[in-house]
Amino acid sequence: MSVFAGLSAGDVVFTTEFTVDRADLTAYAEASGDHNPIHLDEAAAKAAGLPNVIAHGMYTMGLVSRAVLEWAAEAELDASLGAFSARFAKPVVVPADSGAVVEMEAKVRKVDADSLELAIAVLSGGDKVLAPARATLTAN
Amino acid sequence: MLNTSYVGRSLPTTAPAVITAESVTRFARALGMSDTDAVPPTYLISLTLPAADPLIEDPDFGLDFSKVLHREQRFAYHRELRAGDRVSCTVTVESIKTVSGNDLLALRTDVTDEEGLAAEVWTTLFVAGGEA
Repeated sequence: MSVFAGLSAGDVVFTTEFTVDRADLTAYAEASGDHNPIHLDEAAAKAAGLPNVIAHGMYTMGLVSRAVLEWAAEAELDASLGAFSARFAKPVVVPADSGAVVEMEAKVRKVDADSLELAIAVLSGGDKVLAPARATLTAN
Repeated sequence: MLNTSYVGRSLPTTAPAVITAESVTRFARALGMSDTDAVPPTYLISLTLPAADPLIEDPDFGLDFSKVLHREQRFAYHRELRAGDRVSCTVTVESIKTVSGNDLLALRTDVTDEEGLAAEVWTTLFVAGGEA
């Protein structure tokens, strides 16, 4: 039987949310080597025309990959990530005091016996920040 | 404006480098992921962007990195990479599109290990046009 049996296009497979604060962005800058000051320093972000410090797009995309892999592990899917993409539509703005909340909803976009494509809607502050992310899991 | 004569050009392949366990752990922790030896899906960006440095630093190419925003990102994974694997990167300028005075620069990086192509990484950068 297919590892993706029981899943149909349109099914919501998970919803989740993450909180993001400045310390998370500092840790991500260290880990990724992306030290662009718009992700770390309020004055630099504002000088670049942004409302405040913004998360690295790749940080947000990384959180999506984490959510997908955690869901696949919980669902005990014997599958690997084969493709993963996103367009960075709007920034995730991260104020120093409150941080930001990133909400995700993953739906099945396509499914057959060997592969499952998810479309993950990602929102922060009411904006769609990724437009959308897509992840394809391939049966092992 | 970017030098469109670079479209189709590839940078020299980087020397094989070991994916260190320490770098994988740090990346996984920064995303709150459980730390295994498996490379997190987006970890590859920490290899592919530095591989593009010679292009960013090439005055003939004309890229002002202070005007760059990350627009799109795509990964295709052909094999699971793990800490300890040795990989090389080959960056190719796939396209440059000019839209309303701004450039969209599409780069593809082939990530290869001893067995061949392990992953492909596409990065599209939005480069804001100059004051002119």
